[in-house]
Amino acid sequence: MEHVIETFSLTKVFSDWWGRSKVCAVDNLNLKIHKNEVFGLLGPNGSGKTTTIKLLLGLLHPTKGRSLIFGGDSTEPKVNSRIGFLPEESYLYRYLNARETLDFYGRLFDLPVEVRRMRIEALLDMVGLKAVANRAVGTYSKGMARRIGLAAALINDPELLILDEPTTGLDPIGTRQIKDLILALARRGKTILLCSHLLADVEDVCDRIAILYSGKIVTEGMVKELLQQTDKRQITTGLVSDAVIDKIRQLLDSSKTEYSIATPIDRLETFFIRIVSAAQQKVHTPSGAVSTTKLGDFLVGQPEGEIKAGIIEQLASKEAEKKSVEQPASTGTVNKPAEVPLPVDHDVLKGLVKPREPAKPVAVKKQTDEPAEEVRQINKNILDELTGSPEAKKNKEDKADKQQGG
Amino acid sequence: MRSIMAVAVNTIRQILRLKIAVIFIVLLAVLLPVMGLTMTGDGTIKGRLQTFISYGLSLASLLLCLLTIIISVYTVTSDISGRQIYTVVTKPVRRYQILVGKFLGIIILDFVLLIIFTGAIYAITIMTPKIAGVSDEEKTLLKNEFFTARQGLKPEPVDVSKDVQQTFQSLVQKGQIKPEQLQDEQSRRQIIDDITRSKELASRSAAPGQILNWQFKNIKIKSTDPNTVLFIRFKYEVSVKPADMMVNSLWEIGDDRDIKLGQVPKTKIYQLSRRDRIQAFHEIAIPADAVPADGYLAIGFINPPQLNDTVVIFPPDGLEVLYKADSFSANFARSVLLLFLQLIFLCCLGICTASFLSMPTALLCCLIVFATATVSSFIFESFDTLSSGTELFYRFTIKPLLHILPQFDLMNPNEFLVPSKLLSWSALGWIVFIVVCVKSLLLFLLGILLFSFREIAKIIV
Repeated sequence: MEHVIETFSLTKVFSDWWGRSKVCAVDNLNLKIHKNEVFGLLGPNGSGKTTTIKLLLGLLHPTKGRSLIFGGDSTEPKVNSRIGFLPEESYLYRYLNARETLDFYGRLFDLPVEVRRMRIEALLDMVGLKAVANRAVGTYSKGMARRIGLAAALINDPELLILDEPTTGLDPIGTRQIKDLILALARRGKTILLCSHLLADVEDVCDRIAILYSGKIVTEGMVKELLQQTDKRQITTGLVSDAVIDKIRQLLDSSKTEYSIATPIDRLETFFIRIVSAAQQKVHTPSGAVSTTKLGDFLVGQPEGEIKAGIIEQLASKEAEKKSVEQPASTGTVNKPAEVPLPVDHDVLKGLVKPREPAKPVAVKKQTDEPAEEVRQINKNILDELTGSPEAKKNKEDKADKQQGG
Repeated sequence: MRSIMAVAVNTIRQILRLKIAVIFIVLLAVLLPVMGLTMTGDGTIKGRLQTFISYGLSLASLLLCLLTIIISVYTVTSDISGRQIYTVVTKPVRRYQILVGKFLGIIILDFVLLIIFTGAIYAITIMTPKIAGVSDEEKTLLKNEFFTARQGLKPEPVDVSKDVQQTFQSLVQKGQIKPEQLQDEQSRRQIIDDITRSKELASRSAAPGQILNWQFKNIKIKSTDPNTVLFIRFKYEVSVKPADMMVNSLWEIGDDRDIKLGQVPKTKIYQLSRRDRIQAFHEIAIPADAVPADGYLAIGFINPPQLNDTVVIFPPDGLEVLYKADSFSANFARSVLLLFLQLIFLCCLGICTASFLSMPTALLCCLIVFATATVSSFIFESFDTLSSGTELFYRFTIKPLLHILPQFDLMNPNEFLVPSKLLSWSALGWIVFIVVCVKSLLLFLLGILLFSFREIAKIIV
């Protein structure tokens, strides 16, 4: 399989002024990221995620080992012209406005003027900064700065996108948009390295993850495999009568298994987007970024300069089809039939741009009803393992059981 | 090339929008016209113009030099400390291209500012006589002595080595030098140096009643205008300062070769007596017909014993013959180029230091180098004198380092424009070669080397 990023015993030791080793930020890292993969690099603060990215991009020199991107050195123009990079904070030239910022980076990629102009407009449209595009980016809020940083990282339509904490400072709509963008790019065959400690974001979009701790990979694998609870089953239904519930209870009682039945509660993200959309329909004078669901045409493989409506809907429905085929086989969850999708927040997202059109039913979310709880649990397990707490042993055994079961 | 220009344009935007340059521009824009209106110099129109051009160019030069140092250091260090550089070096741009872009941006801005401000100085200088309404006589004087570019010829240094040897031998014979001093190389050299210094001083000094002679060859006056004049520019030092600080003198200027042969001279010989203040430059204007076709000129200075009672000494650069060789405008343009060369050097220096140092450290380094370069002649002299005991060490350590510095005091446009001295293309070309092609380029390459191999993301505390 073709590797987009490869590292061989990549090690970075920070020394003090006298050359004495102080911190081993990255320790013998062997990472392989395949083409067209959304790879998540996770870890607590100070685990070496950002250092790894800096090593990959040549911003730091490795103490030992080496890294290859597209089989070459990332400082070579041939290689880095194919990379898009969003650093942990959007480091912007605060005296430039949004349009000039994108134009500057476009020029660095030696893009012809027409292409540059079209992409700048598409990206400004996508990140919702068109209305404030002539304001110096130094005056932007953190979220707006993040958006323009993301747009700058996409100006060259990169084959590899390296995102360091992309959702920091973004509102839930912006966060969702980045996640949709990642999925859309992945569908176009792009490779994405996502570095984050916001686990919910990673879980939603990543195919594979590695968890770093103290510069070492402690766990690596497919997200689905790592998170699967093979000893449990989940059934989600529409509103059914108490009689039906009683019958199910009887059935479950007879199988002598522990179970719980409850009404699912809305995710806060969905709730938030609904409230904001309602507010936006009343007030049409935003002072900063406008949340949109648009993705730049050139990013989703459309001919540049031709703005097509409903791109996200098309992408989303394809995604929903893909997921609905994959999920029963892999997780064993009993799903609702695909033709009656769950009322997901994309209806509302769409409403933010076109509030008067009737919402089409689309589904992009993976149907995991309590992901936050599970991820929290996993995270706790790992931390316990690393810190050697009394629970660690038990958790390790549980995990071993799960892996055997999977 | 496009990426280099992108960085250059971005640098210009940075400097203009962050208003770093604004304070300098406002200061110059306000001060230059004020200076033009208020400066009077010594009361004459020539003095007024000389004072204005001298202060105006010094101010413009100082402010532009400081501006160049600040912006060249700031534009590199702010990108590194603000980490915008992360998003630039990860693009298909070589690191040297980033520095070249920064350099171009600064130099383009410098060039524009230099043209604007020196253009203003030039315009005010040209307009002042018209506004002041000077007489025809003053106009002719200005044309000959200020609005011109005069070739300067200095007398060749007198060879005193034979004289020194003779004196040394006679001292040895007389037994005034002890045998142990003769054996010790250092003492021997010290004695010879002392004799050389005193002989050189004697060759430039005239006690009351004594005469000093200088001969010049190759004076090529191109002008056929019968009113053309040549100038003898001189300065006196004295052994004992007179109460009124004035010295009397008699001068004989012309071709004296025929007189020596007892014949009547073919060209005119001018004789004049003067009374001049000591320690200041003065000029004697002599009609150009004193010089024969072969360009020979002799100057005789007599220290009249009945009028003076002090030894008159001409300092090493204390006598010069000047004659018109080019126009004021062309000379002004070349002098402005000298300033531009200083800015190029400072820009390279700023970028070089900023490529590996933090902003305050780099700024300090640049300011020290700038200050040292501005008084380089003094520094060279001081080190030459102080290091007499440790010559070997000095020659191989400090001296090469000092030679890396450009000598800004020798590149001062006022050295040419105030005395209306010609700065020839060949002299300018040589300075371009030394300052730009050697010193600036070396610094810039060093900066590129350091910047290319440094860890950009490594925090320098």
